[in-house]
Amino acid sequence: MHIVVCAKQIPDPETPPSAFKIDAATNKVVPAQGIAPVLSQFDAIAAEAALRIKEANAGSKVTVISMGAESAQAAIKQVLAMGADEGVLLNDPAFEDGDSHTTATVLAAAIKKLGDVDAVFCGRQAADWDMGQVGLLVAEDLGWPAAIIAKGVTTGAAGLQITRVLEDGFESLEAPLPAVVTVSNEFGEPRYPKLPQIMAAAKKTVTNWKVGDLGLDPGAVGKAGSRLKLEKLFIPEKGGKVELMEGDTPQAQAAALVARLMADKIL
Amino acid sequence: MLQPTTVPERPQRRVGAWWGPAVGISALGFYAVATVDDTAGREIGFNADHPWAVYVFMAALVGLMGYGFVRHAGLWMIGRPTSGLLREVPHRLRNAARLGLAQDKVRRDRYAGIMHWCIFSSIVVLTIVTAQVAIEADSPFKFLHGPYYLFFSFYGDLFGVIGLVGVGMALYRRYFSDFHRIRWDERLEDHLIIVGLGLVLLTGFVLESARIMVTELHQHPDWAKWSFASYAIARGLDVFDFSEKQVLWLHTWVWWVHIAMAFAWLGLIVFTRLDHLFFAPVNAFFLRTDSPGRLAKIDDIEQQEIFGVGYVQDFTWKQLFELDACVRCGRCSEVCPANISGQPLSPMHLIQDLKGHLADVGPAIQRHRHEAGDAGREVSSVALVGDVIKDETLWACRTCGACMQECPVMIEHVPTIVDMRRFLVMNEARIPATAQAALENLEMRGHPWRGTALERTTWMEGLGDVPIFDGSQEYLYWVGCSGSLVERNLPVTKAVFRLLGESGASFGVLGQEETCNGDPARRLGNEYLFQILAQQLIETFKAKNVQKVITNCPHCFNTFKNEYPQFDGHFEVLHHTEFLAGAMQSGKLVAKHSVNTTVTYHDSCYLGRLNGVYDAPRQIISMVHGADLTEMQRNLSKGLCCGAGGGNMWQEEVGERRVNHVRAEEAVRTGAQSVISNCPFCIQMFEDGVPAVHPEEEGRMKPFDVAELLEQAVFGPGTR
Repeated sequence: MHIVVCAKQIPDPETPPSAFKIDAATNKVVPAQGIAPVLSQFDAIAAEAALRIKEANAGSKVTVISMGAESAQAAIKQVLAMGADEGVLLNDPAFEDGDSHTTATVLAAAIKKLGDVDAVFCGRQAADWDMGQVGLLVAEDLGWPAAIIAKGVTTGAAGLQITRVLEDGFESLEAPLPAVVTVSNEFGEPRYPKLPQIMAAAKKTVTNWKVGDLGLDPGAVGKAGSRLKLEKLFIPEKGGKVELMEGDTPQAQAAALVARLMADKIL
Repeated sequence: MLQPTTVPERPQRRVGAWWGPAVGISALGFYAVATVDDTAGREIGFNADHPWAVYVFMAALVGLMGYGFVRHAGLWMIGRPTSGLLREVPHRLRNAARLGLAQDKVRRDRYAGIMHWCIFSSIVVLTIVTAQVAIEADSPFKFLHGPYYLFFSFYGDLFGVIGLVGVGMALYRRYFSDFHRIRWDERLEDHLIIVGLGLVLLTGFVLESARIMVTELHQHPDWAKWSFASYAIARGLDVFDFSEKQVLWLHTWVWWVHIAMAFAWLGLIVFTRLDHLFFAPVNAFFLRTDSPGRLAKIDDIEQQEIFGVGYVQDFTWKQLFELDACVRCGRCSEVCPANISGQPLSPMHLIQDLKGHLADVGPAIQRHRHEAGDAGREVSSVALVGDVIKDETLWACRTCGACMQECPVMIEHVPTIVDMRRFLVMNEARIPATAQAALENLEMRGHPWRGTALERTTWMEGLGDVPIFDGSQEYLYWVGCSGSLVERNLPVTKAVFRLLGESGASFGVLGQEETCNGDPARRLGNEYLFQILAQQLIETFKAKNVQKVITNCPHCFNTFKNEYPQFDGHFEVLHHTEFLAGAMQSGKLVAKHSVNTTVTYHDSCYLGRLNGVYDAPRQIISMVHGADLTEMQRNLSKGLCCGAGGGNMWQEEVGERRVNHVRAEEAVRTGAQSVISNCPFCIQMFEDGVPAVHPEEEGRMKPFDVAELLEQAVFGPGTR
């Protein structure tokens, strides 16, 4: 079984608030000084799910792909260190500043190019923009069935045995292969890499595919292909207002408070 | 006028322990020479019908010891080779003499020290006595006559009595007191050893008395009196008016019993913990000559196939050798913070479990080596790490070094524990979740404080111009991750910063460029991550021309001072208490304001026990006017860990109690208003521990760093 894990490198979610800055002119997040980007935690969990299936099914293979900057090599290496077999970096200026749709186009093209893929595992959402759409859109592009927000994935008679998290419980599904699954944090903690694997991962070369390698039209990906336009990026201002209730006695103040709350339709 | 509070006496080495008795005995020897005629003496082998039997026993004993040694050595040799044990030989010989023969560490328990000295010196002297008898009997060299004979009789009896005193003390402790630690792993051999020795000594006296009754009591009472104890027994027995024949019959039988028991007892050396007689001094010779705070470097880590110790043959032979030195005295476990708190680690049992496992699988490993080279790694279905030594046992260790400090046979528990942690982390990736989070954070963010909302420069706010180190200043002030990223430790950083400035020191900080020096990674067993972090930082230091470093944190201090030299990073390292104490002594820093408060002082393990800095912080406290110091019961080298060491800052504790609650209780018991420490971890542990053991907010003890106390004394209370 060949599973592809889609992994995204994101700005460190634990960046101290004081170090988080936005450049209003370009509508972009300014990378915080001295704080390296990290692998999105949900994608690490997706990798864990794929690796457990690999371990339970002899002859399986896990490939990790990431669309992003050159620095995303580190995210790929991290998944390789966890035990993935191969890594592919999709790095091209043409891919930059896209939306969920163009990202899915690029990832799906890479998966098609890999050819023999049986399943695609993504995190339930990237921990930076929290859109949660890429997994489903990849399935759409590939024409495969998709199950999102899974807390359990194993191989079953039909292909995959999946347990999904619902608002009020769990849902058990069987999916034929090939299929796309997005994995949720309820799945469990990603593993800590063993040192021999870290060293093996360090020696592995990561394949690099550009827009041409995937046979994509540069106008259909990245900013050019994006259907979502970013109007304004800003840090919301937090504030509070205090209004003191007038009144000579506590009773009068209480009555004024009740009247005020009723006026605001809180009571 | 400053009123220094009393700094408690440091435990002194009592070099004189042997000299007093030696001088006294020599004086008696001269007295004998001066007063006695030359005819005194006795028939050697008196009344013994088969004196040669001694040599048969002797040969058997030597054979047995040879067998025992070969058997032990075979097991040691399955360990990995180690180097450097023959470096600094004079220093090592001094250790063997001081810790092995003079038993400096045994004396840390006064009662046991006296008891052990009595038994040890008795056995040594009586062995010499016996050897002289053999030489007199079976060599042409004759000397047991005249004054020396009488002197010989005297000290033979004296050390027999001393031995019995020791045995009596041992019997009392084992059978009539509620002394626990020697019963934590009590075995049959413990009874045999002590009762057997008592019987050997007693039969020796009976033998000597019977001989005196026949040959001296009436003929030469002036000679007999030199054997004072036997003379007294002989006088007592004489009342019963035994016939000479009866006494000779008694003598014959007691002779056989005495000789047989003496050799049987010596035979116990081979099979019981009595073998520490040989192994303890040798292990003292092998004792590390560098700081106990330094962990071994894994050389060429990228070329290794196995990391740390996962199988018993991964230990060095020295580590296997020292297992044999263990006497199960329990001193390590008695002081172990984990054990005290009912957590799943007892260093004594750990060593004994390793020893048992070595005996179980060692012979099979030896056979495999013979047949298939190094192929058969796993000779047992029982795993060393996981089965024999449980994961939680390894994680409970604080690396505080109390066990090593107390061990009278110089076993080094901490490196052995960390070796197995290395296997767990790097080979198996089996780590408690919270510790894993700290390690991942180190990798990703260069500090262990997951989720901090602070930046490395947050503490600088409101302090005006903070100089950034650029190579032109004398000192680098190393703030550390805790000092900059943990809310509680920020005031300490600010205090040290202000005091450094006040002292006129030329210093700068690294600010955003600081990254963890790797200490938590190394303590938690991720040597690979430690080496990466250490090498990066050493490069940074060298690039910035750092020569001298002042650290906030004793853990950083220890790593820079003791461990960076392993990576060619040589810096002069001071803990802030050392620097500040020096600045006060030279008058650069003056504690002008009185701080009326009662304090107790907690020695952090990494500053105190592992690096020997006990005085500087106490000097500062003593120079703060109005600060009245009360020591806790456990202090100085016997101080108890706060519970955070060895990466336990980032672990959930398993067990009956939390270590910091135990220590906080000890601090609160002093009745002091504040507990002063020198370490960001200790302070955090007290902040958590004191309210737990003292729930009422009113009158609750407050934890402070030495620098925070000094800041008040220098700048006045509430001046920040």
